[in-house]
Amino acid sequence: MTLRNRWILIGVVTVMMTYLALPSFFPEKERGKHWWLRSEGMTLGLDLQGGVHWLLRVDEKAAVQRELEKVQATITDAATEAKVSLAGAEVKGDALILKGDVPGLRKIVDENVRIVDVDESDGALVLKLQARYVRDAIDRGAATAVEVLRKRIDEKGVREPVIAPQGHGRILVQMPGVQDPAEARGLIEKTTFLEFKQVLDAAPNQALLEAKLPSGVPEDQQIVLSETRAGKESEALLVPKKAVLKGDMLEDARMEFDRRNRPIITFQWNSEGARVFRDFTGANIGHRLAAIIDGKVVTAPVIQSKIGRRGEITGDFTRDEANNTAIQLRSGALPIPLVLEEERAIGPSLGADSIRDGIHASLLGAGLVFLFMAVYYSLTGLFVDLALIVNVVILLGLMSAFKATMTLPGIAGVVLTVGMAVDSNVIICERIREELRLGKTPRAAIQVGYTRSFWTIFDSHVTALLSSVILVMIGRGPVQGFGVTLTIGLVASMFTSLVVTRALTDTVYGPNPERLRI
Amino acid sequence: MELFRTKTHIDFVRAMPAMVMISVVIIALSLVSIVAKSFNFSIDFVGGTVIEMQVPQAAGDVNEERLRQVLAKLGQPDAAIVRLGDPADREFRISLRGSQEEDRDLSVRILKGLNEDLGTAVVAKSVESVGPRVGGELRRAGVTAIVLSWIGILLYVWFRFEWQYAPGAVLALIHDVCFTAGLFSLFGWEFDMNVLAALLVIIGYSMNDTIVIYDRIRETVTTRGTTELESVVNEALNSTLSRTVLTSGLTQLVVLAILLVGGPVLRGFALALFIGILVGTYSSIYIASAVLIWLARRYGHPVPAPKAERRARPSRAAT
Repeated sequence: MTLRNRWILIGVVTVMMTYLALPSFFPEKERGKHWWLRSEGMTLGLDLQGGVHWLLRVDEKAAVQRELEKVQATITDAATEAKVSLAGAEVKGDALILKGDVPGLRKIVDENVRIVDVDESDGALVLKLQARYVRDAIDRGAATAVEVLRKRIDEKGVREPVIAPQGHGRILVQMPGVQDPAEARGLIEKTTFLEFKQVLDAAPNQALLEAKLPSGVPEDQQIVLSETRAGKESEALLVPKKAVLKGDMLEDARMEFDRRNRPIITFQWNSEGARVFRDFTGANIGHRLAAIIDGKVVTAPVIQSKIGRRGEITGDFTRDEANNTAIQLRSGALPIPLVLEEERAIGPSLGADSIRDGIHASLLGAGLVFLFMAVYYSLTGLFVDLALIVNVVILLGLMSAFKATMTLPGIAGVVLTVGMAVDSNVIICERIREELRLGKTPRAAIQVGYTRSFWTIFDSHVTALLSSVILVMIGRGPVQGFGVTLTIGLVASMFTSLVVTRALTDTVYGPNPERLRI
Repeated sequence: MELFRTKTHIDFVRAMPAMVMISVVIIALSLVSIVAKSFNFSIDFVGGTVIEMQVPQAAGDVNEERLRQVLAKLGQPDAAIVRLGDPADREFRISLRGSQEEDRDLSVRILKGLNEDLGTAVVAKSVESVGPRVGGELRRAGVTAIVLSWIGILLYVWFRFEWQYAPGAVLALIHDVCFTAGLFSLFGWEFDMNVLAALLVIIGYSMNDTIVIYDRIRETVTTRGTTELESVVNEALNSTLSRTVLTSGLTQLVVLAILLVGGPVLRGFALALFIGILVGTYSSIYIASAVLIWLARRYGHPVPAPKAERRARPSRAAT
């Protein structure tokens, strides 16, 4: 490449990277105001801007139990239909145990359920989920949870959250700017579970309702209480244990206003839910239907007409209540509990301290290196300093281009990269001096210095890249950010030491090499 | 300015047997410490909960002992409590290491308990909890990463140089990691994710150093042959010495800046780097080259023809 083309390349790269990197140094509200601040800039890691980081895991046991409960429902229905005696069915740990007419039941299981291994012990059938379907249940649980969490976190108004499945039923959640981890727990603690149940009886409180039932609450029924809210009477309802409909069939729920501008909740079922709901409401006009979330009655309106796919709940809601209920209904079923495996909550003040310390250290470290190079290699040292600055600009530009995250160890990585980039230049400069000492002319010394150093620099960068790439692969959070910084920095360092300093040297010393100052 | 105005003539090779002996002893001690004493792992690797918080003025005079009593009341008598920074900052760190199976509400309970007992709301600057399962996985991932990078470098050096070079390079890396990790174990310095990252940087750095020296040895061999391998290695080490010292010194400038003003989070990281770069520089000279000499003497060292002559040779053979 001719010297002129090399300069064009260097110029284009530097201008482009400066444009990409600049916005990261201006406050958010300044960006977009000026034409030269249009690109997006890097994101700051949670360790720098504060926020909450979670690593969640789907509770495997609960996932398996939930799957087995579905199997249990299928078999119970099939057994009733086929008139096979089923004396008992219960989920115990990771197994579903069926008692009764064992050969008959086995036939029903074989016909209806493909995902279990069947065993017989103590005159009962023991059904266990096959390993493949255990994994399947966990994966589906995680996928649902990601959706539900995404909705809930969006509703909360968190800016640029990360909600990502990590494999093996794990979910990574990052919420920048969230300050109170205890309050944020609400997002995962409520494994909100919605059911619609027919109201069989009602009373203002539990004691009065129990008084109405002289023979006690029947086996297949239960008493549920409506949420007590300020200024509102609570109510006790008698409902069957079996729900008419569950929230997993809900497609959407929103807060809207009716004609009199009162807040209402509108909802929409999926096709299966719509069919069940139409049949049920058609047969029960004038009766009450309770919407129950986590065992508490949210609302129990009277069914006014046959309702199909869409419906609305008119209650005595405040605007906020209606909105919150809609959110809960909409994000509805987080059917399997989540285990909080890792939580890191960084306050904004700590993040600000970290940024300040990190930048101080970087400026001090880089300043010392720059100063040393200029003193030690005089003019050539200044070229190296210039190349190092270009190196940092490229590093920051690429980080912005890849939307990489800058973390505190990442800041250390930037200045460590300066240390490593300086190495390539030291190798070259020392080699040039050595050749000069051997009596070579400056022109020959520069030539030999660069060609002999090329493969050394290449090899040492590749091996350093090896370990930094491994860091990116295994690291988490801040450490991963550090690995990314280091990797990009090494790439930039190859470019600056082999192209930028070379171009500077060639331009200044090329025509009159006797001016070489090193 | 020049620190190495005239070429040095240090006989590195003569000192190698003694240096290798010393290294073997030190590494043995490091391994004993790592096996017997293990590490002062942070919660990243063993799970647990760490809370850093500031007690407001309203709580009056609060010291470690007072907090310890509060935590004992909350059922956490083993909590480690240290004051952070100046007493006027009123900041403390509460650590419960390797605690509890996944008790996700522990930190919430502790903060609530503290607020009630001190009669004012403490300011939580950071709350970190790691479950034991995640911790165990990270420990395994860390070991895997280090071993993987050793293997990767073994293969790369083998591919780019001769096989006789590869074991020395990797032994030098193993030496650096064991030495640095050994010091962390011996002195009970906290071993967290950042220290693990530092170990990988040390591998990269030390490798860098070794490659530069190996490259020069190979270059010198092409002109001087292998009959006097010891003097070839000495020559290569001496001609790269100025670069070795400069680069290592410049990198240490940066590391010292991070160590001194980089803040508490990066202290362990910078400390590990500082030690690692020192031993990394040492091991590239004494370990990597010593192993190379030993292997080359035992199994021979192929002498590649200088590049310029390589093309000429077939025609010369023809004549």
